Amino acid sequence: MKKALIIIPNLLIMGFILFFIIRYANARAAENRQNEIAAFEKMTMTTNQIIANYLEDEQHLCDIWANYINRSAEAGSPMTAEEATSFIRQAKILPEIEGHLVFLDDPNREGISTAAKVSDPDDYTVSYRNINIFDNIESVGEEREAVSLTRAYTNPMDGVQSIAFLHPVSILDSEAGELRNALLLRVVPLSRLEQKLVFLKGGYENVEISLVDKEGNYVVHGKSFKNRNFFEYYKSYNASTAGQYDQVIKEITGGTGTMVIKNVKGEDCILSYTPLATMKIWFLLAYIPEKDLVGSRSVDWLLLGVVSLGFVILLVFNSIIMMKYNRKLSEAAQEANQANQAKSYFLSTMSHDIRTPMNAILGLNEMVLRDSRDDNIRMYSKGIKTAGNTLLSIINDILDFSKIEAGKMELINVDYSFGSVLNDLVNMVKKKAEDKGLSFNLDIDKNIPMILNGDEVRIKQVITNILSNAVKYTRQGGITLSASARRLEDQPDVIRLRICVADTGIGIKPEDLKRLFVAFERIEEKRNRNIEGTGLGMTIAQSFLAMMGSHLEVESEYGKGSVFSFEIDQKVIKWDPVGDYEEAFRRSLEEQVNYREKFTAPEAKVLVVDDAPVNLTVFVNLLRQTRIQIDTAESGDECMPLFMSRHYDVIFLDHMMPEKDGIEILKEMKAAAETPNAKTPIICLTANAVSGMREVYTNAGFDDYLTKPIDVERLEMMLLQYLPADKVAPASDGGDTVGHALPDFLYQLKEIDVSAGLTHCGNEEAYMQTLRVFLANAAGNAEEIERYGAAKDVRNTTIKVHALKSSSRVIGALKLGDFAERLEKAGDRGDLETLDRELGELVSRYRQLAADLEPLNAQSVSEEEDGRPLIAEEKLKEIYGALCESCENYDFDSVDQLVKDLEKYKIPENEAARVDDVRKAVDNYDYEVIPEILSGKV
Amino acid sequence: MKKRVTAFLSLSLAVLLLLPGCAGQKKTEGAFVPKYDKNTEFSLTVAGSYSNFESLEAEFERFYEYYPNASLQYVTMDDYNNVISSALVSSEPPDIFTTTSSMVGNDKYKDMFDACEVLSDPALEIDYSCIRSSLIRATDSGDILMLPIFTTSYGMLANMDIFEKEKLEIPKSFGELTEVCAKLKSAGYESPVMGANKFTGPGMFNCFAYPMFAYNVLKNSGQADSLNALEPSAGEYMRPALERLDKFVNSDCVDVEKCSEEIKDDYDSVIMRFFEGDVPMMLATGDVVSGTAKRESKSNAFSEHPFKYKFFTAPAGDDGGYFINSVSICFSVNKNSKNLDMTNEFMRFLISRKELGNMAGLKRLITPVDDFSLDEVYSALAEIPADRSFSDKQTGLKDSAVRQFRAAIYALGNGQMTVDEVIAGYGSLPEE
Repeated sequence: MKKALIIIPNLLIMGFILFFIIRYANARAAENRQNEIAAFEKMTMTTNQIIANYLEDEQHLCDIWANYINRSAEAGSPMTAEEATSFIRQAKILPEIEGHLVFLDDPNREGISTAAKVSDPDDYTVSYRNINIFDNIESVGEEREAVSLTRAYTNPMDGVQSIAFLHPVSILDSEAGELRNALLLRVVPLSRLEQKLVFLKGGYENVEISLVDKEGNYVVHGKSFKNRNFFEYYKSYNASTAGQYDQVIKEITGGTGTMVIKNVKGEDCILSYTPLATMKIWFLLAYIPEKDLVGSRSVDWLLLGVVSLGFVILLVFNSIIMMKYNRKLSEAAQEANQANQAKSYFLSTMSHDIRTPMNAILGLNEMVLRDSRDDNIRMYSKGIKTAGNTLLSIINDILDFSKIEAGKMELINVDYSFGSVLNDLVNMVKKKAEDKGLSFNLDIDKNIPMILNGDEVRIKQVITNILSNAVKYTRQGGITLSASARRLEDQPDVIRLRICVADTGIGIKPEDLKRLFVAFERIEEKRNRNIEGTGLGMTIAQSFLAMMGSHLEVESEYGKGSVFSFEIDQKVIKWDPVGDYEEAFRRSLEEQVNYREKFTAPEAKVLVVDDAPVNLTVFVNLLRQTRIQIDTAESGDECMPLFMSRHYDVIFLDHMMPEKDGIEILKEMKAAAETPNAKTPIICLTANAVSGMREVYTNAGFDDYLTKPIDVERLEMMLLQYLPADKVAPASDGGDTVGHALPDFLYQLKEIDVSAGLTHCGNEEAYMQTLRVFLANAAGNAEEIERYGAAKDVRNTTIKVHALKSSSRVIGALKLGDFAERLEKAGDRGDLETLDRELGELVSRYRQLAADLEPLNAQSVSEEEDGRPLIAEEKLKEIYGALCESCENYDFDSVDQLVKDLEKYKIPENEAARVDDVRKAVDNYDYEVIPEILSGKV
Repeated sequence: MKKRVTAFLSLSLAVLLLLPGCAGQKKTEGAFVPKYDKNTEFSLTVAGSYSNFESLEAEFERFYEYYPNASLQYVTMDDYNNVISSALVSSEPPDIFTTTSSMVGNDKYKDMFDACEVLSDPALEIDYSCIRSSLIRATDSGDILMLPIFTTSYGMLANMDIFEKEKLEIPKSFGELTEVCAKLKSAGYESPVMGANKFTGPGMFNCFAYPMFAYNVLKNSGQADSLNALEPSAGEYMRPALERLDKFVNSDCVDVEKCSEEIKDDYDSVIMRFFEGDVPMMLATGDVVSGTAKRESKSNAFSEHPFKYKFFTAPAGDDGGYFINSVSICFSVNKNSKNLDMTNEFMRFLISRKELGNMAGLKRLITPVDDFSLDEVYSALAEIPADRSFSDKQTGLKDSAVRQFRAAIYALGNGQMTVDEVIAGYGSLPEE
């Protein structure tokens, strides 16, 4: 299991829980904040009441003074200003409180104070001329609130910031003798009010209580408030629109509430405001930084930290446990993978290792079938072919099944001829059925379109499996293959093809029907034990059909027979009807002959590379009748010089080879510069038929691939595809000169192994020439052996016997060669007795063989048939020179090669005898006489 | 006592030589290091007549960084000039209070000055060397009782964008002024120079001519005494400045009538008219300039089309303008303060190039320190040669003489009298 699948959900859950905690903590904090603000607001209200009470008390004292003065006036004994101040002086207790009696109708707003000026102890005159606190005095007087007082101002008598409580009084103007309106001021230092505020802080350490008037001018203000006016202060430090600013003024002067404002440091602060009780012109502002009001949230963060740490520990613990289990799972998975790889390796190996020898078996067997004239051998060979094909079929079934299981089976849709598919099916099954005495019937809809598009191979395989089973499990009666098609309305270019195979076989019990498609299951194993098969056929068929969007339907009656059918949709490429297929097939049967090659291509050149010589032999022989020029190589190192020097039309390259494998060689070939084979198609030969190989080979750069054992028809089809058209000619009906190059009597000669001879000589033509040379020299050589034997010339006898050994083996006279070898060895050890005793028999058999080969003389190639080019005089002299030089250097291999080179040319008549002498000398290993033959010509 | 008060006047020049380290050279200042325990709890009150003193309150906040438990407040005193003396001996005296140059020599403030701490006492460690020496006053005994916080001057605001647009330089002399004004006029500016046609200090004629007049008095010893005595013959000393003003008002530079119509007062109206953006030069004082910052947002025209502006001396002279520097307010310490040590500590903190520069910058007044670069609006003042840079008190002119000069230029500027007439009428010219 991937770590991410554990870690991510864990982190998500943790994140969610932390998110929840934070949200919850925030909600609680918000709630606490609201509670704190409510409590703060409550404190503000309490403070408001206390201040109001204080102000009322002060106002009350002012009123008492005024009432006493006014009652005196009402009683008809009004007080003069001096008497009134004297009264007040006596009535007041606190020295810092003063009483001012001011005549507002005086231009200088002068009056008398109860206390003298601090700067002049004799001066009691007070003037409010320059102190503007009476602008609204009329309205104050009319509305007469519970408290009438001034804003904070500077007491002109002592310069102390003060407030004054007001009450109008009637004073007797002693000079005029009449009553005069005056205003009595109870002047209280502002500090007294500030002291009250200091003690009203309650539980709030940093609260600042301020009083402002309607315009926002401070009466009293805390140290945090700047400016002379609170609203100006608000405007300076709080970004707000004109509307918001007006709204703030409206709220603060309109009632009780709380708002958040910024202070000079940009911090959020709580401002609780309320109009002072009993008067409308002053407002109380309680200010506190929000961080000082709202309780610390450290507990929340601690909780959060602990929870987070717990989560981390849990995650680490979970991860460790998960890693432990993952490791175990990983080990188990690794083991399973190894087992699976072992299985794949086994299948691959089995495929390769079985199919490789099968290539040799079936290929060589094909040669036997072609070449053998012995009926018994041909019968045995056919048996091998049948068994081999069965074995291949089983292997193929297993491989297909493994591909399907691995999910690597793929459908390859191609255009195909439906008639051709039927041909293949009938060819394959009809013979089997007839061999079992069963009738094979066809019921083919004439209107089935000719060319369809689909996976021809797999469709054929499905039908083959069904037909094979039908043949296997039918003992009497017959098998009927039906095919029909109908158009699909919604898909105008598609037909639905229905294939049906009906047999009169043993049938299947209803309870066994379910097991029919189970791999390796064989129904009624005991009863059918003699019927070969893997039990995979139906499973594979069903799987292929499923891949094609179809399924196999089975109707069966136990003991009477079965009907297997399926429908598949196939795209129509050509609507021409397939026609009366049964009739066409009958005709083709009549015309059918034994195997014949499809074409000849004598000008075509093919290189085949395989590390197994026998495979090379099979490959060469399979194509022998096509007359294609085939070069072989057993390794990459061997093939590269050929690849670089000679042009080929097609190259077949085996995949599995020691040292360099086919893919490595292919890379070398592709990388090679200045090669005549830059555009030559390269086809992979492989016995490896497991799934996925097609991709491997095409990706590696091969143009195509051919599986082993090599099917000659597929090989020929492939060559037809890749060989240049101008080099390919249709096979002639009777003019197979190559096929008749070896006369039939050769095959009857017990002394001759034609195959061995062909192998040694390379081709029929060379073989025939060698035979003729052997024949031409036989009489002379036999005579010489006898002569040297009779003369007891052991050395020359041995040399001659050695030559006989070699020449016999070259033509395939293997037993004669072995006989000569034995006498050669006897000669070498000086065993005269053996030589005397057996030399005669050797010479006798030698002559008998020559006699048997005598018919070859009648078949000499005529001058007219010799299409070889006439050798140039200079070329001939050059070869003569090279022959002499090679003989002198005892380089007999070069001598042999030079003679072979000579055979490529037509020799002028005047030199023909000399060249013939040279050839005979080479055949007889008389290399020393060659310089003599050529003397005077070099 | 009288001697002591009058000594302020006579020693105002001499103190220049007495001040330690005040040679006009800029000094590098170290960071303020608190003298006392930073946890000291104390309250200080600064009293003054400014109804609003935000720049000082900003300094309170900066001071709290060193003394977080301090509590400072500024109190606006009603009827300040009459009350301050009483307040200093009251039960709740202010610790620091504002003083002005005009208080010096006035008996009314004798008690007030008596209550002042001697700020030049070396024990206080108040380093006022950063303040321009010409602005500092000392008593006859050499004591310094008041230190300047803000200063002002007479000159003009220039709309730099217009000069840039018209590819013109700010005129430095009267000749350049007339040339520039001619070009501006032809470019469509009806009155290239404007100002408030008022009798007051910030009035346009005063801003243009007073610095030149004061400079002439300063350079001609003896003139001040005659002028102060309001001798009719002393009117002749006004001639150079009056003739220059006469040329000015009769040139293309200014349309006096237009100024009277469009600028109704010598402060708010001056600023708001300047912010309309079509006045290349606006005659004004530093006090007027101090109101510009707050009014930028109040002017729709300026908000929509903001422009760069600077303060320059009025180019009245042939060789250039004259920078006459007047102290707006000073701070003095109440020697009877209940927290005298901490009051002096605050003054030690405040009297520095940095803090005074900050305050002047916020208030947009001319800093008293020797570095004009702290406020770009006033940065051009640094270019005035020392010869034409002086303090108003260096002239020795009394308020009565100054008012007669104002009466003269007001009558001349408005065409009510000729140059000769106002010179002849010196001493009895009608004042508003």
